[in-house]
Amino acid sequence: MSTKIKEAVRALLTEGKIKGFLGLREESGNVMPHLFCDPKELDSLSLGDWKKSGDTRYPLNQLMIQLAMAYPDETFAVLVRGCDERGVKELFKWKQLAEDRVILIGIGCPDELAKACECEKPFPDSLIDGPKGTKAENEKVASIDKLELDERFKFWEIEFNRCVKCLGCRNICPMCFCNECTLEEANLVDTGEVPPANPTFHLVRAIHMVGRCIDCGLCEEACPADIPLRTLYKKVGEIISKEFGYKTGFSIDEKSPFNIIEVK
Amino acid sequence: MTFLKKLLEFSGIHPERVRTRWVSSAEAVEFVHEVSEFVEDINKLGPNPLRAKAKEAA
Repeated sequence: MSTKIKEAVRALLTEGKIKGFLGLREESGNVMPHLFCDPKELDSLSLGDWKKSGDTRYPLNQLMIQLAMAYPDETFAVLVRGCDERGVKELFKWKQLAEDRVILIGIGCPDELAKACECEKPFPDSLIDGPKGTKAENEKVASIDKLELDERFKFWEIEFNRCVKCLGCRNICPMCFCNECTLEEANLVDTGEVPPANPTFHLVRAIHMVGRCIDCGLCEEACPADIPLRTLYKKVGEIISKEFGYKTGFSIDEKSPFNIIEVK
Repeated sequence: MTFLKKLLEFSGIHPERVRTRWVSSAEAVEFVHEVSEFVEDINKLGPNPLRAKAKEAA
């Protein structure tokens, strides 16, 4: 399915519309991020499908922010799935990326992947290749909603107690762009202990995901303790959507929840 | 506030354990009423599960 993507990128590069294309490439059996500046390199382009669809993903948006900072006057294209595109839209709003400096090259995720991710919109608006998959149901959140209050408390207590405070969830997060982080401020969250303050540490991070988390799930993939972080942040997204009518990353013009006072 | 209550509920903490009210400095009676009501409701809820945990650790 990479043919159409290659054609689109080749055209942008040869016409000089972009300085480079931030995507993935396969080299000696490894898939890794790569900035394609020469159309000849495109043969090694990978869409992150190694053994199965979408099993090798990287926070390309994070690299995109670095690129934009290093080359503010250049335009780049970036490979995006549905979630990545939502991220880029939020990053435009948060002024981390400039809208006229980023071109999106979108790929859609197959239903199998969308289901595994429980993705609300498994394809980007900038879809160039791949399926326009169907929305998957949010079963994991629903299964916790079903529990009694004290069962929920115990569930999260056990999950959060496994935290080794590696900060991997934050470090891989394409939406965590702050230079200074509450999680490392002793006055705001107790520091120096493992597991970190339970549940404060994780709830603080959850609150900071309001209007930011675009449900890419990289945090949960990165977590060495297998804490169901994605489920926690999915709930954050669900509350924001149900109570404030805000869908994170769905539209560039939609107001941030911090700007919405009335509850719908 | 709406968000925080929902998130706490999802984490297994009773949402009525947090409350915000706006009371003017000229409304002493209103203030007393709100605080008393809150204390009453909290007492009904019983000890906070988080506090039990903190005691265990100590």
